[in-house]
Amino acid sequence: MRTIALFTCVIVAGFSVGAYAATEVIHQQGRAFSSETISVKKGEAVTFLNDDTVPHNIMSASKGNEFNLGSQAPGTSTDVTFKEAGDVQVICAIHPRMKMMVKVTD
Amino acid sequence: MPELGSYRSRILAGTIASAALGVLGFSTIGFGAAVVGESRKAEITQKAPSSLDALKAQYRRPASIPFPKDNPYTPDKAALGKKLYFDTRLSVSSAQSCASCHSPGFGWGDGLAVGVGHGMAKLGRHSPTIVNAAWSAIFMWDGRLPTLEDQALGPIQSPGEMNMKLDDLMARLASIPEYKPMFDASFPGQGMTAKALAQAIATYERTVVSERAPFDAWIEGNEKAIPEAAKRGFAVFNGKAQCAACHEGWNFTNEGFQDIGLPSTDIGRGEYLPGVIKMQHAFKTPGLREINRRSPFMHDGSLATLEAVIDHYDHGGVDRPSRSDLMRPLGLTAQEKADLVAFLKTLTSELEPTAVPVLPR
Ligand SMILES: [Cu+2]
Repeated sequence: MRTIALFTCVIVAGFSVGAYAATEVIHQQGRAFSSETISVKKGEAVTFLNDDTVPHNIMSASKGNEFNLGSQAPGTSTDVTFKEAGDVQVICAIHPRMKMMVKVTD
Repeated sequence: MPELGSYRSRILAGTIASAALGVLGFSTIGFGAAVVGESRKAEITQKAPSSLDALKAQYRRPASIPFPKDNPYTPDKAALGKKLYFDTRLSVSSAQSCASCHSPGFGWGDGLAVGVGHGMAKLGRHSPTIVNAAWSAIFMWDGRLPTLEDQALGPIQSPGEMNMKLDDLMARLASIPEYKPMFDASFPGQGMTAKALAQAIATYERTVVSERAPFDAWIEGNEKAIPEAAKRGFAVFNGKAQCAACHEGWNFTNEGFQDIGLPSTDIGRGEYLPGVIKMQHAFKTPGLREINRRSPFMHDGSLATLEAVIDHYDHGGVDRPSRSDLMRPLGLTAQEKADLVAFLKTLTSELEPTAVPVLPR
């Protein structure tokens, strides 16, 4: 019974995450984000696509929306879904000139 | 899978948030976190491989020095900054000036493996050059200071370096009659403040720019300006050896932080971002201008020659989780290594002698 409950839970979580369609794609060519500022709705995903020639380490320490993609290899992409409304300062830990703001709205 | 992703991102986020205190300006730690999905392979469209001419264009010297809006250049301010830069009375012992560790005689470094601070005690890291600091995005080997103005005050106050309290310093400078009119001319109505001192020193430092080197003449079209070996080295630098992944642009740095696998216990930028694996043992990529005059090399001064530096990169360094993904054995041939050294030697200019200023009494 417990196993089934857990299984259901995973399915539901799977569906809900699957439903987050990435509305914005942020490119990283030339050690720069393709946008300085974007706006997304709470629960929407942003795709961080490393289409550069070197790894990047995209992350944020903004309260409620912290994340760290670690070393993201060229030719990979990762979706990040923001859960709290507010301004999220996104940086690359490797390249200090790479900074952008994601404005998360309710 | 999404469950796992979410859980993992929460754990990481907690550490990052605490890590970021002071660095990114957050005073509280949140319990929430963004949800990180699984990493996917992506189709990417890279721009077509650059032609040699397009590549060379990326290394063209800038036409002017950038000065910040809140500390614009004036000749008076730069002249005052130069006197302060060379004035040993900025240290508590009156024995060290900025120029002690960042000397024009050593490519604006000190020629030592690691710096020497207060009481002749050795410091933990190699004194970085100040050449082309005007173009820097972030300061110190670990990036802990955001502006050149902040940097100017760092070593003055550091107990291990010049060990001088700012209040005591400003009182000491005020007791030297010739300084006051210079401050008044540069900072009208502001008096002699530590902020003005920092602005003057930073302004002078921004004027320390590497002069035209043989490489620049080649970039601008003079094919005879550098030897054939150096041209081959430029190709290796941008190609097989991937040096340009970090040492990019006219000043040969993108100001990034990388663990290049040196066997040192110093965690560098990791001290400020403890939750970020790739920042452990990571240090700021230095520019390569005037490199011939700047041995020994690396943040710890552990490599004596350019040949040793290239051997280090060829070997790939210590393999550890924090090591940059760009670091791996390169398999360079003896010819390629020699060509790289020939190329690096073309980055050194005929620096004009710097006159030591007459100091206020
Ligand atoms: Cu990056």
